[in-house]
Amino acid sequence: MKIDGTFNLKGSPQKIWDTLLQPGTLASCVPGAEKIEATDDKTYDCLVKQSVGPISVKLKFTVKITEMDPPKYVKAVGNGEALGKLGTFSMVLGVTLNEEPGGNVKVDYTTDVNIVGKLATFGERIMHAKAESVSRTFGSNLQKTLQSLNA
Amino acid sequence: MKKELKFKVNGEDYDLWVEPKTLLVQVLRDELGLKGTKWACDSGACCACTVMVDGRAVKSCSILALQVNGKEVMTVEGLANGPELHPLQQAFIDNWAFQCGFCTSGQLMAAKALLDENPDPTIDEIKIAMDGHLCRCTGYNMISEAIQDAAKRLQAQKQQEGGK
Amino acid sequence: MKTILNDFEHFAPKTVEEALDLLSRYGEEECKIVAGGQSLLILMKQRLVTPKYLIDIKGISALDYITFDEQQGLKIGALTTHRAIEKSPVIEKYYPVLAEMEQNVSSVETRNWGTIGGNISHGDPSGDPAPVFIALNGRLRIAGLNGERTVEAEDFTLGYFETVLGHDELLTEIQVPALPPHTGVKYTKFSQLQGDYATASVAVSITLEAKKKTCSDVRIALGAVAPAPMRAKKAEEILRGEKISDDLLARAGQAASEEASPTTDAEVSEEYKRELVKVLVKRVAKEAFERAKKA
Repeated sequence: MKIDGTFNLKGSPQKIWDTLLQPGTLASCVPGAEKIEATDDKTYDCLVKQSVGPISVKLKFTVKITEMDPPKYVKAVGNGEALGKLGTFSMVLGVTLNEEPGGNVKVDYTTDVNIVGKLATFGERIMHAKAESVSRTFGSNLQKTLQSLNA
Repeated sequence: MKKELKFKVNGEDYDLWVEPKTLLVQVLRDELGLKGTKWACDSGACCACTVMVDGRAVKSCSILALQVNGKEVMTVEGLANGPELHPLQQAFIDNWAFQCGFCTSGQLMAAKALLDENPDPTIDEIKIAMDGHLCRCTGYNMISEAIQDAAKRLQAQKQQEGGK
Repeated sequence: MKTILNDFEHFAPKTVEEALDLLSRYGEEECKIVAGGQSLLILMKQRLVTPKYLIDIKGISALDYITFDEQQGLKIGALTTHRAIEKSPVIEKYYPVLAEMEQNVSSVETRNWGTIGGNISHGDPSGDPAPVFIALNGRLRIAGLNGERTVEAEDFTLGYFETVLGHDELLTEIQVPALPPHTGVKYTKFSQLQGDYATASVAVSITLEAKKKTCSDVRIALGAVAPAPMRAKKAEEILRGEKISDDLLARAGQAASEEASPTTDAEVSEEYKRELVKVLVKRVAKEAFERAKKA
């Protein structure tokens, strides 16, 4: 399953880049993040809770950065499971920062997610829309963090 | 905490104590030993677990056992009259309406509910009544024909009884 | 090895008051209401929903009714089964579209046990009843300990499995006004299998003025192509006050297709769903128009 999207941020690409890859920033900006820890400079251990109506799922996974072109492009692969034997998943994530006139940066992301297990039978129907709202919230949280750093 | 479940199955009264999480199919198979009711897809998609509750076909894997408290359940074991098969069962045999037989008890119970409500269904009405039932051997046409055949047999039986 | 549900405490209130009282005590914790359970039990078996408290309202017989009169319109108790609606002589006579819609809801087995209120409260954007009640200008009556309220059917679902119901509230009744003269309503769903979840669904209600030439009012509702069932208001604007023609219907279909916000899923793409909306709106509105001429 492919999920792509875009959001816009104010700030310089370098500043966004530096902020974005901080585990602390990620933990505070990813909606539902209960834990995001860097185990080395390229690997993050994550525990993220997502809910849709009465359904809630805890995702435990590791993200490893595989390619980097600061401050423009980062590619990462993730592997993990949905707790409660709901299934496992793997994903490839690509994020591109494009500088635009007026101090804006357009963030394009592409994800390719593979899910195995119970989550797959049900998840795909709602995962796209959830991904959209999660990325929107992430973008606005990140923007707030950038502003507070500037202040 | 277990709760009391009083209900009738195939005409017999039962008074059991069950965990609230118990599904109707679990009570039928595991508590009462009525293994004729099959438990297959577990997601409400195949209808193999169909039984009748108060005369209506329902999926026993998608009903909490406690919800049939005070109600009357009929399973495939309740169809035959001693050694004598129900006309539906006989029609299924005579029309080659099953191969592996796994979906058959569910098919029979849905067909019974249909014929109780509509003794002379058209093929289209049969298709609508049975459209939730999956048969991996794909004997769908034979199943429809068997139900129509059974309808004729049941009507003939009724006329004979009326004539007596 | 079959899945066994998680443990929960089970309550079986016999009245709405008892149910509300239980909700006021447990509603804010991990608590779910179950009616027929035809959607909820599947999620519970998959362990996607694991309530600690289950309030089982299936036994509240006072919420199982269908009534109609010319002034009050139609009232359906929330615990009326899909099958009872499908087979109701009153529905057949005054709102045949509801019986047609019900034939699309899963299988007879599900319709025999599942309830209309349970279906709507589940908030699944691909459910069949919601778009039809939206097209029929329906209202939903909600009971809470602090009193009752009613909301428009179109405002009830907020997004995937999320509704306006508070933790301590219960959907009790669906109300549909009597149809104005010369009104035709039609519902069509497109799905991969008969009785499966909708890939896209469309309900249209068209009212013609006395001479049966001009469309005086129209409501177009779409299912499964947005996080919640939605009205295609731009498409409605194209038809309202106009003489219906094939060309106009095609334009309404196009507008609805642009208003929808479908997502790609495991089976079909976003573009495919938009195309479906375009074609279905045109077709379903045409049929509603034909019915309005005869009504």
